[in-house]
Amino acid sequence: MSLELHDVTVRYRQTHDGGEHVLLALDHVNLALRPGSVTALVGESGCGKTTLAKVIMGLLPDNAMQSGTVLLDGEPLPLSDENAMNKLRWRRVAMVFQNGGAGLHPIHTVLDQLVEPMRTHLGLPPEAAELRARRLLEQAGLPWNIAIRHPHELSGGQAQRCFLAMALALDPDYLLLDEPTSALDPGTRAFLLGRLRELRNEGKGILLITHDLGSTASLADDTKVMYLGNIMEEVAGSLLTKEARHPYSRGLVRAFPGMFATRELGGLRGEPLLRITHAHAPSEASHHHADTGVEHAPADGCLFLPRCTQACPDCASGKIALTGTPGSGLRCVRGGIVPFLELKNIRKRYTSAFALHDIQLRVMAGETFCLVGETGSGKSTLAKIVAGELEADSGTALLDGSPLDYKRRRRQLAAKIGFVAQNPLLAVSPRLTVFDIAAEPLRIQFPDLPRFELERQVLAGFCEVRLPGTPDFLKLYAHELNAGALQRLCIARALMTRPALLVADEPTSSLDPSVQAKILRMLLELQTERGLTMLFVTHDFGVARKIADHIGVMHDGRLVETGTTRQILTHPTHGHTRFLLSCARGGNTQGE
Amino acid sequence: MPAESFSLRRDPWFLFAAIVGGTLLLAATAGPFLAPYDPYDISFTVLEAPSAKHWLGVNDGGMDIFSELLTALRNTIMFGLLAGMAGTGLAVFAGVFSALRQGVTGLMLMRLADMLLAIPSIMPLVLLAALFQPPPSLMALALALFLWAGPSRLINAQARMLVTAPHILAARQMGGSLWYLLRRHLVPEIYPIALIVLASRLRAAMFMEASLAFLGLMDPARKSLGSMIGYGLKYYFLDIWSNWLLPPIVCLSLLIMSATLLAMRMEKRMDPRLQNLS
Repeated sequence: MSLELHDVTVRYRQTHDGGEHVLLALDHVNLALRPGSVTALVGESGCGKTTLAKVIMGLLPDNAMQSGTVLLDGEPLPLSDENAMNKLRWRRVAMVFQNGGAGLHPIHTVLDQLVEPMRTHLGLPPEAAELRARRLLEQAGLPWNIAIRHPHELSGGQAQRCFLAMALALDPDYLLLDEPTSALDPGTRAFLLGRLRELRNEGKGILLITHDLGSTASLADDTKVMYLGNIMEEVAGSLLTKEARHPYSRGLVRAFPGMFATRELGGLRGEPLLRITHAHAPSEASHHHADTGVEHAPADGCLFLPRCTQACPDCASGKIALTGTPGSGLRCVRGGIVPFLELKNIRKRYTSAFALHDIQLRVMAGETFCLVGETGSGKSTLAKIVAGELEADSGTALLDGSPLDYKRRRRQLAAKIGFVAQNPLLAVSPRLTVFDIAAEPLRIQFPDLPRFELERQVLAGFCEVRLPGTPDFLKLYAHELNAGALQRLCIARALMTRPALLVADEPTSSLDPSVQAKILRMLLELQTERGLTMLFVTHDFGVARKIADHIGVMHDGRLVETGTTRQILTHPTHGHTRFLLSCARGGNTQGE
Repeated sequence: MPAESFSLRRDPWFLFAAIVGGTLLLAATAGPFLAPYDPYDISFTVLEAPSAKHWLGVNDGGMDIFSELLTALRNTIMFGLLAGMAGTGLAVFAGVFSALRQGVTGLMLMRLADMLLAIPSIMPLVLLAALFQPPPSLMALALALFLWAGPSRLINAQARMLVTAPHILAARQMGGSLWYLLRRHLVPEIYPIALIVLASRLRAAMFMEASLAFLGLMDPARKSLGSMIGYGLKYYFLDIWSNWLLPPIVCLSLLIMSATLLAMRMEKRMDPRLQNLS
């Protein structure tokens, strides 16, 4: 008993400026719906979610070319036979379209539209059909009097629920829902999700196509993440309850404003592309196509490559397959989000006392790791060791898989790691002007950079941190700047060589909240755009909450607890974490 | 804060010192051309009073004092510059080196400086001059061996502070090599101190040269401000102080004063932090 898609490929033939090209909408998709379970299909608009539902319903438009098979309980669906399909539609498989109201017939009342299929398909007598319609509307949370209305007299949410009632009229085994909750208010949405849960428990197989990761969190038994017609990641459960493994999935989660998301909203860089497989267009036309700014996805290698921030040369070629066990597959050459910074058994001893005991730490690429703790807990020491200002006594540190060897590769590493030291006034030379301070990393890394290029890059960097680039400002000395400008100068300097890792030690401590907000948003924006990985030292849980993916709590030179921001904030396990959190919440300093 | 930049061209002290020092230096450089007579010409009337022919009169040996003064000034400045610059160079090297290599080598270098400080430098120089009668340039270099010790401790203290200063650490973190750090940070940061050191070493060297010459420990035939004062003093009972004693004394004082002032005002220019304090 299942509804299975095997190697389903769908192409749309499209004409464009006199030429014709083929758009690949689904690329060898395998998927199975099982009775009594909810499969969620998530992904950006245009990734092929709706096409997939239309394949199952046999409702693809005429310009679609389809290959692969759809098996319903082991039997292939008679996709070419319209009559046979009509028998299956609504009885075995029903679909609720994206804007349900548009699927209702405008001149019939709701009741007529509910009763009609029951009578023609099931042959129910009018009274029985009406009774059943009444119950369906009730179950959809609608009052009975709605039955005599016309579709234009319904609100969007009501129309959506009417459509759901219609889809259930013939008691199908499989239900396909395209964005069922996106137009609904929270109350109605909760009601509808409850209804779907009931339907699942009754044994229906549900395909939930949605942008709303929140509704998948409470409902989905497994989740498929789609991008440009490919399933990129399969998750048992929901994306929100599991940690995303694919950079694309992480981008979706970061962009989703869920109730438990504390981090500023992020997302994915760039726009979704189109997969044009072969254009039969004259060459001028394809040029023109390029001029319109629509970019094409790469024909070879990873589809997500142009938008991925951790791409490596291997990603650019070959066919990338969905690997891993069924139900938890992943389509990524690098095996998902890679660890960018790994610290193992890092120890540091100052003359009198231990500063760090056996620190184990892993920061994933494109992620913010916040080190939180009291003064003297070893946060800055750890940051300095990563940035190369201090040497650890023992332990290993890996950056992107290769050892963090400051003795031999200091300059190369410096280009990859930007460091914002704790005290901005001391961290800049009193003898240098603002321009020279900001240009220093460039001068070290590229001694032959011409002056105009140096100026261009410095000004671009200042623009990012909202510092003025006026000639007067560039000539100032550090002591003539206020604390906020100085701190931004230090951040601009740390980002000047476009590092992959930013180690920042209390970088916003002397900023007023409005400037701090701008800087933090700027850093997160860089994270989205360039995949900037951040090791962020702060004593401020409020800041950590807004920017961190993971938080590590330090106490007496030990990393006592690490976890996702949500875990640490909602279920701290270590007593010291609870103590710090209660202090941060402004109350009880007794802990617990 | 106003960014009114401090300009040396508008600083009266600097201008004063530059004019005085420049004049003296010019006089010393152009001495042979300015001098009306050969300073070693002994054909004039002994102890003649100043006149239009001999602006500062004639000394006991029958030499024109003005011509003699120009040559002496030249010799003293040359000696001072050689010893002062060599001494400052040694001080900067020793100070920075032992700050960068804070191991045994650095420690030994600084202990050596302590030892040298304990010895009054005039003693070995007197011995050296008396025993070997070295030429003035060698004497200057020998003096430099004693001049570096004091200021090297000062520079070492500053350099030690610098090598652990966050902004230098930041430059190192950015990947700056040792050479880069020296060129771009350490030397420019130490430069103002080196200038003060140079001024103090110039002063010490010129004073030492004058002293040795005054004591007659340098070549007696060599003209020097010190030897001029020494010879002149023998005739203090005559009315020669204003034309024979005073000119070398004034020259020596002005030299030392202008060197000091120049260094002080330049230091203020070098360090932007001091600019708004005036």
